[in-house]
Amino acid sequence: MSAAPGRARIRSYNVGFGDCFLLTFFYGEDETRNVLIDFGSTKTSSFGPAGGLLDIAEKIRDDSGGKLDVVVATHRHADHISGFGGEPGKVIAALEPEIVVQPWTEDPEIAPKARAPRPATGGRGAGGAPRAAAHLARLEDMHAIAAAVHAQMPRLEASTSVRKTVREQLAFLGETNIKNEPAVRNLMEMGKRPAVYASFGAELPLADLLPGVRVDVLGPPTLEQSDAIRTERHTDPDEFWHLAAATIAAGDAERPEPLFPDAAVDRDSIPQEARWVIPEIERLRSEELLSIVRMLDGVLNNTSLILLFEVGDTRLLFPGDAQIENWSYALFAAPNHAEIRERLATASFYKVGHHGSLNATPKTLWNAFERRAPAPEPGRLTTMVSTLAGKHGSVDRGTEVPRKTLLAELAAHSELHDTETLRSRRTFWNDALFDF
Amino acid sequence: MPELRTRRMPVLVQDCGIRRDDGLILTAAVQVPWEHLLDGPTGHRVQLVDYDATTDTMYRAARMPDGDVPEPTDNDQILTDPAFHARNVYALVMRTLARFEYALGRRVSWYFRGHQLKVVPHAFEQMNAFYSREAEALVFGYYRRDGEPAFMCLSHDIVVHETAHALLDGLRSRFMAPSSADQAAFHEGFADIVALLSVLSLPDVLRLLVSRDQEQDGTIPREAVSVQSLKDSVLFGLADEMDSESGAARVNALRRSVLLEPDPGILDRIEFGEPHRRGEVLVAATMRAFLDAWIHRIEAPEATRTERVEVRRVVDEGTDVASTLLTMAIRALDYTPPIHLEFGDFLSAMLTADSEVRADDTRYGLRSGLLERFADYGIAPASGTEDGSWKPSDHPLASEGVRFGSLQTDAVEMFRLVWANPDKLSLTPTAYTRIASVRPCIRTSPDDGLPLRETVAECLQYVKLFAAELGAYGLEKPLGMPDDTEIPLEGGSTLILDDYGRLKYEVHNRLPDPERSRDVAKAQKRLEYLWEQGHFQKGASFAARLATMHRLRASEPSVSRAESW
Repeated sequence: MSAAPGRARIRSYNVGFGDCFLLTFFYGEDETRNVLIDFGSTKTSSFGPAGGLLDIAEKIRDDSGGKLDVVVATHRHADHISGFGGEPGKVIAALEPEIVVQPWTEDPEIAPKARAPRPATGGRGAGGAPRAAAHLARLEDMHAIAAAVHAQMPRLEASTSVRKTVREQLAFLGETNIKNEPAVRNLMEMGKRPAVYASFGAELPLADLLPGVRVDVLGPPTLEQSDAIRTERHTDPDEFWHLAAATIAAGDAERPEPLFPDAAVDRDSIPQEARWVIPEIERLRSEELLSIVRMLDGVLNNTSLILLFEVGDTRLLFPGDAQIENWSYALFAAPNHAEIRERLATASFYKVGHHGSLNATPKTLWNAFERRAPAPEPGRLTTMVSTLAGKHGSVDRGTEVPRKTLLAELAAHSELHDTETLRSRRTFWNDALFDF
Repeated sequence: MPELRTRRMPVLVQDCGIRRDDGLILTAAVQVPWEHLLDGPTGHRVQLVDYDATTDTMYRAARMPDGDVPEPTDNDQILTDPAFHARNVYALVMRTLARFEYALGRRVSWYFRGHQLKVVPHAFEQMNAFYSREAEALVFGYYRRDGEPAFMCLSHDIVVHETAHALLDGLRSRFMAPSSADQAAFHEGFADIVALLSVLSLPDVLRLLVSRDQEQDGTIPREAVSVQSLKDSVLFGLADEMDSESGAARVNALRRSVLLEPDPGILDRIEFGEPHRRGEVLVAATMRAFLDAWIHRIEAPEATRTERVEVRRVVDEGTDVASTLLTMAIRALDYTPPIHLEFGDFLSAMLTADSEVRADDTRYGLRSGLLERFADYGIAPASGTEDGSWKPSDHPLASEGVRFGSLQTDAVEMFRLVWANPDKLSLTPTAYTRIASVRPCIRTSPDDGLPLRETVAECLQYVKLFAAELGAYGLEKPLGMPDDTEIPLEGGSTLILDDYGRLKYEVHNRLPDPERSRDVAKAQKRLEYLWEQGHFQKGASFAARLATMHRLRASEPSVSRAESW
């Protein structure tokens, strides 16, 4: 086997709304090393394979020659990890990945043992492990909120005053943010070597698995690193999310107990002059829920690993769903941010962040890509987006995913491979090759 | 039955955290203007609707006695009776409305056409309370802490804060529009100021905070009434008491405001670009001016100084100053420009409005105190004058064909006056112009007891242009803005007329004029700010949502949208 790969292939499988990338390095004639980056979906495409994620898992098995070297789960959203659970998850585990890489926020060692009791100063404290644990507890609270919203969907769907877009977004984001236990457990256990939980600047123990490939972790930053961005800590998000979880979960039951049962009025006896106000209150409640779910969705996106693979002067960038808050450390605050930006500028490949949403491709990053070009030419930047329109965000608010303005820019200035343009159930992947 | 002027109603002085020594939640009887009430209570300005969307439950409408409402005798009557909650909110909303009407000398309407604001005391199980313009409502959530419900409708400051948002929106609807960092922050800062001064104008609260642990025979040591001690005992004291029950965000806001050390460069610091942080600067400056004036009242010449001071005196002076300052802050609204408010405008407006009614300020020294304290935080009066007041207008307006009688109430008549004076007012003759409001007011001067009559009119101007056309207004296109970006430019004047229809003041933020560099610089700054905030992107929401703002205050800070698509 040669000391460095001669070429690489990136495949993006049409999972619908989700991510699934297989990065294969070729060492000489026969030898390959395979990196699977994410495998999940929250909504399949009508042009995806008939057998759904199981078909895709089998395709991964075939394309990797039956062996995975590295599995990366960029973050815990269902559209990135659901394929690691259930039957498809068994297929992946059978490929005997050597190592599983996840963000530091997945580290079971710092996970809080119990959910509810928490020191009053949680999150405000001096840093180190207790703060990290509090942060993880916050992520757990967010899952609880998502689960509660999911459980309440039948009631929200029955209400005529809740706007259709709000209802759809709540259902979609609620489901995406529910904790996927089987997938999480499988990821924890399937690697042959000890799992790696990485943060900005971490050195990944991949030298023998991917010889000649340098892999940099550009995100997520640790809490201490994020402090460098946030000059002053003036809120207590842990407390906010903890109370929000308790509060929203209380609405879980089909019809939760009223606060003052003795003062409740029969539905039929509601005063006529008050009746027209009720739908307004229901509408406000649903919009409140949605804003909270949107916020937590963003927080979880920002736990994404951002990985930069480098062979010679070819750089391949996989940022998961990282949004600007995650990117900020690498781009603006890290001591070596200038050097990082220089290296990013020469990237040959960019996996479009968060399915093409409006705030996961920082303009600072995009505008610096030197290989952007208006017409096809050798060495032009290659981009891949894995997405499904009409599921996330809304066109009216300019929040649709994928964002039209971003897609137009990608199409105009790069070799864009978009899973949405796949129109055959038999060829359900995009392919890009890089020679080093 | 003889006509009643007021009705005494118990309200929580702050929230369930502030209790008497015997554990009873501290309430105070406040005077609310008497009106005929339906169950709810529903009066001529407020309709209480006690519906909970989380549990899908309507609670029985609260009954109201014709006369005074008795005070609760145990905590159960406060905590477990939704009717008490409804009456508490009703009383606080009406008391705040009455404060505004008193200060402004006229009826104050809501933003929407109807006359009754819907108030929902237990709207949903969520940690938020807000004013919703679309729903024409104030909604209060509740949440559970360790299983026990905590009610936002029982927090005096939260109820007054939300009411202040609604009232401010009725008076200056453009203050919710995107403009500058200051304007985004003003709604929050102003609502906090009204809420805090409303709490501090209750003697029961001050007595509890001032005398705690140090009262003997109705007196406290003189060293307990220095700026530092009162800051500790009253402002931090209040924040500490609140902490146990009400939403942590609100508490932190008070604590953080008081903690803000003077720094003339504070508004340029990045973290104070966030609206809620920035609003706290306004609160900090105002609360320091409050403490100064309070001390000023209690201080005695050295020769007559005693070692101890009567608690009653300290409390009376404190509530008096709080109440006077509150009136000043509310009255200032009439003297603010109708659009693009900055903190310096508000300062000049406060100083002008106050000196119009209260010529003599030696009693409190509030005007000089405000000037000084605002300067500590880098806020200079926008008037540019030495005393900080607006410059009186020295242009007599042409009034041919204008009927003075209807100028006080008629927007069309007011527009005729404006139209007749294109060169004498700070308006752009070609821009689309409309009179947004005309409001007559009568204020009584404490100096001579005579009424001061004024008419206040808001005049707004609009043009719409493409980014490529900004040069005509002396503006430069922000970096990266496409030429075809549509930009609404707005400006306007508040006209203040005297009894005879003569122009006393024109308080304006005109459309930028290339010949006036100061206006252009301000407009350029707003343009850059809005571009950075993503306001010119398609679909960007132009209505700054207060609900979102309150939530962000409690959770994650927001980030710039400059990096977005």
